[in-house]
Amino acid sequence: MCQIATFQGTSDGEHAARGCRQKMIKHDPNSMRKRKLPPCRAACPADVNVQAYIALIQQGKFNEAVEVIRRSMPFPAICGRVCFSPCQDACTRKEIDKPVGVRYLKRLAADIEREQRNKKPEPISVSHDKKVAIIGAGPAGLSAAYDLAKRGYPVVVFECMPEAGGMMRYGIPDYRLQKYVVAKEIMHIQDLGVEIKTNVEFGKDVNFETLRSEGYKAFFVAIGAQISRKLGVPGEELKGVFYAVEWLRDIALGKTVDLGEKVIVIGGGNSAIDAARISLKLGAKKVIVAYRRSRMEMPALPQEVEAAKKEGVKLNFLISPKRIIGEGGKVKAIEFLRMKLGKPDASGRRRPVPIQRSEHLYEANTVIPAIGQIVKTAGLPSLLLDKRGLAITANLSTLETRMPGVFSGGDSLTGPASVIEAVKAGKRAAESIDRYFSDRAIDRYIDDGDVSNGGKVEVEETTWVKHVDTIIKKPERYIGSHVDIGRWEASFEEADELLARNKETAISEARRCLECGPCTECLGNEKLCDADKAIINEKLCSGCNLCAVICPYAAVKKNDAEIAQVDEDLCKGCGICSASCPDRAITMKKLPDAQIVAEVETALRRAAI
Amino acid sequence: MFRPRIIGFVCNWALPKRIEIPSFPRMKIYPKMQVVQVMCVGRIDPVIVLDTFAKGADGVLLVGCPLPDCHFVKGNIQAENKTKILKKLLSLTGLEPERLQLEWAYATEIEPFSTIVDAFRNHIIKLGQSPLVGENSDEKILSNILAAKNAVADFSLRVLTGREEELTEAMNAYGKRIPQEEFDDLLDEIVNREFLRHKIHLLTSQKLLSVKEIATIVNHRPALILRQIADMTSKHMIALDHVEETTPLYKALEVK
Ligand SMILES: Cc1cc2nc3c(=O)[nH]c(=O)nc-3n(C[C@H](O)[C@H](O)[C@H](O)COP(=O)(O)OP(=O)(O)OC[C@H]3O[C@@H](n4cnc5c(N)ncnc54)[C@H](O)[C@@H]3O)c2cc1C
Ligand code: SF4
Ligand code: SF4
Repeated sequence: MCQIATFQGTSDGEHAARGCRQKMIKHDPNSMRKRKLPPCRAACPADVNVQAYIALIQQGKFNEAVEVIRRSMPFPAICGRVCFSPCQDACTRKEIDKPVGVRYLKRLAADIEREQRNKKPEPISVSHDKKVAIIGAGPAGLSAAYDLAKRGYPVVVFECMPEAGGMMRYGIPDYRLQKYVVAKEIMHIQDLGVEIKTNVEFGKDVNFETLRSEGYKAFFVAIGAQISRKLGVPGEELKGVFYAVEWLRDIALGKTVDLGEKVIVIGGGNSAIDAARISLKLGAKKVIVAYRRSRMEMPALPQEVEAAKKEGVKLNFLISPKRIIGEGGKVKAIEFLRMKLGKPDASGRRRPVPIQRSEHLYEANTVIPAIGQIVKTAGLPSLLLDKRGLAITANLSTLETRMPGVFSGGDSLTGPASVIEAVKAGKRAAESIDRYFSDRAIDRYIDDGDVSNGGKVEVEETTWVKHVDTIIKKPERYIGSHVDIGRWEASFEEADELLARNKETAISEARRCLECGPCTECLGNEKLCDADKAIINEKLCSGCNLCAVICPYAAVKKNDAEIAQVDEDLCKGCGICSASCPDRAITMKKLPDAQIVAEVETALRRAAI
Repeated sequence: MFRPRIIGFVCNWALPKRIEIPSFPRMKIYPKMQVVQVMCVGRIDPVIVLDTFAKGADGVLLVGCPLPDCHFVKGNIQAENKTKILKKLLSLTGLEPERLQLEWAYATEIEPFSTIVDAFRNHIIKLGQSPLVGENSDEKILSNILAAKNAVADFSLRVLTGREEELTEAMNAYGKRIPQEEFDDLLDEIVNREFLRHKIHLLTSQKLLSVKEIATIVNHRPALILRQIADMTSKHMIALDHVEETTPLYKALEVK
């Protein structure tokens, strides 16, 4: 039976939501088609079934919720902390008040699950003989390994650092993403049978030839973008210039640094904000983040920017460094140029243009450039690289490189992006490698739809909730109906405090979900829920059409021979038709009348004891 | 003490047993009611309900989601219409109609649910054991229940219940809307007629009977019985077996 009793009752708001859903069904029975995904699920690059785990959290089923996430990707706790959560941005609920706090729900469920888990997952048995080597144990490499292991391939991951995790381990600081959380989720992948060899550098300790001779048949190069981009201004060689990624890595490795009083971070991404916040934590007195565009264009997570501001980080916009001024070989000041925004560039953001003769000085002891990362291409065969040898080239959708059997994705292909994008790349790589081995056409992804969905689902329209504003007439009912929803904007540490493992708050928050998709497909109880279906005995059907009238989903239609036919896509298995058919021609696949009668008999026997 | 045998057909979406909200006490309804979980109350075939009574249940409780909240949009309306017919039929059979009850509950709230169960159980305790249970179970009521079961399995009542909403709320095939009261009168008439026909059918399937004999057993005027027999003959439910002296004896035909 279905595990998700749709939430009803306890507040008027919920009734309104349910009511509007029914209206939608009446007007457009096709809205019940399963392939219409809710916007949250459609937005997730890794195709995590958001609505399903939210529905399970409504039931207090945290462990099952995490299982749902793990069906799509191996990092529930990590993404619950640092994901950009496009799901939340897409949430329909934002049209009414605030989106459902999807990320926190995920985080909470994952934390509860981690604490309650008392046994390791069963290793997945290997069913293929072709070995796969994965270079780089960042989110891209690890999720490819996870997916390939689940498909039964023997997988080994090679990592040059002492520990696996990539930027999740050596980039994102501890206060946002605790290292034990990363370690636990990687452990889970290892428990499934993935081998991770650390302290092995590709291009030095191993290369394609040695790996091929060891029997590896396919490769996924996911080495990330490990080198900070240079500013390209005079004075960069001075003491006191630390490049963000390398510097954060050093801190993660436990090295100490002397920052001095005044720190200027240059850049507007997460690494810039992280570097600024860490500088404060390390004792800097005055920290400025200098960004050459405006607040609007900042790629960093808004709640992180807020938190940084609260801690005392200063943000200066529309300035760009012209040169770094030194004294005795050490940084003393930076000369900035003022910028203004011009026409949008390739990324869609407006390009900053310098304003002539707007130079001005800022004093600084330390400069941390955080303006992007590039791939370390040294040691990679030239066939993998572009003409100038500066970046890896591969087909962006199939991830194939020019070398047969070699794939690349994640930051190493796209430049610095996000954890969830890296996971998506990993999943794609797994699909490509699987196809490569089974001689299925790799390049037909586009025709087959998105591979991250297994190439099946074609999202036509993402939700049945089409005009929330007109359906839900009383938005004020929703506001604050259960919890202080303002808190969804909280930063990572605040979330910790606010949810405080408070399952009830989480359940209430989960109930704010509007259930945009018809069936959540949580598969909570696969044996039963996987929808009961009506079966029509065509010999008995007299074509009275009653079932067609009765079916709430318009799933029954008469064919040319005047015999009722069930559309399995639409039938939700309620059994109402079966209970009414005058010819008793309809039975249910999973719960036929005979079984109900048998259950009644047992129940009567039980009651007699 | 009398421990009633209560069967609850509970909709999957109204059964709170899985909710594990920490602040709610875990519900203990099982010793009080045996739950048969179904996808929707609308999925319960009236035949099954009557069968449950025939098998010796003291009470049958149907629990579904409140009216605007049916998970399957209008399963609860179907259940309501079916309960209406069943109660009418039960009163004809001689079994107390209150032994059948349809109630609404929310899956998320445990207390209302247990209150419903408790109230129903107390009511059944007051009514006492079902006359169909035990050594001297009431043969007459039992055979009435079987006749009622056949009646709800038959075409007319099923179509009527199935289409009630359509006929009274929307339009019928001739573009006419039937007012609810008119529909209820029609329903009464058809329930009575169908019950009587199936009763006659059941009796004559056990033994050859004359119109007069039937009339005494079912306590109706012979003229009415004769009219039903005429209708039933044309529907191939019954046939004249032979004439003994001057009295025609009837025999039920197998209904397909
Ligand atoms: C400071 C900072 C903060 C960030 N904050 C967020 C955030 O809040 N949310 C978010 O979604 N994303 C964030 N990101 C981005 C995110 O971490 C990356 O996009 C993501 O980790 C990329 O994954 P990847 O697997 O492609 O590469 P990486 O994570 O970089 O992993 C590559 C791995 O390959 C290894 N490797 C490299 N060269 C070799 C070699 N020659 N041989 C063997 N192994 C090698 C590396 O050691 C590394 O372990 C942040 C990044 C940084 C730097
Ligand atoms: S309301 Fe629920 S289903 Fe709809 S987008 Fe938001 S989280 Fe997803
Ligand atoms: S079981 Fe019957 S009434 Fe219910 S959805 Fe399927 S076809 Fe429609």
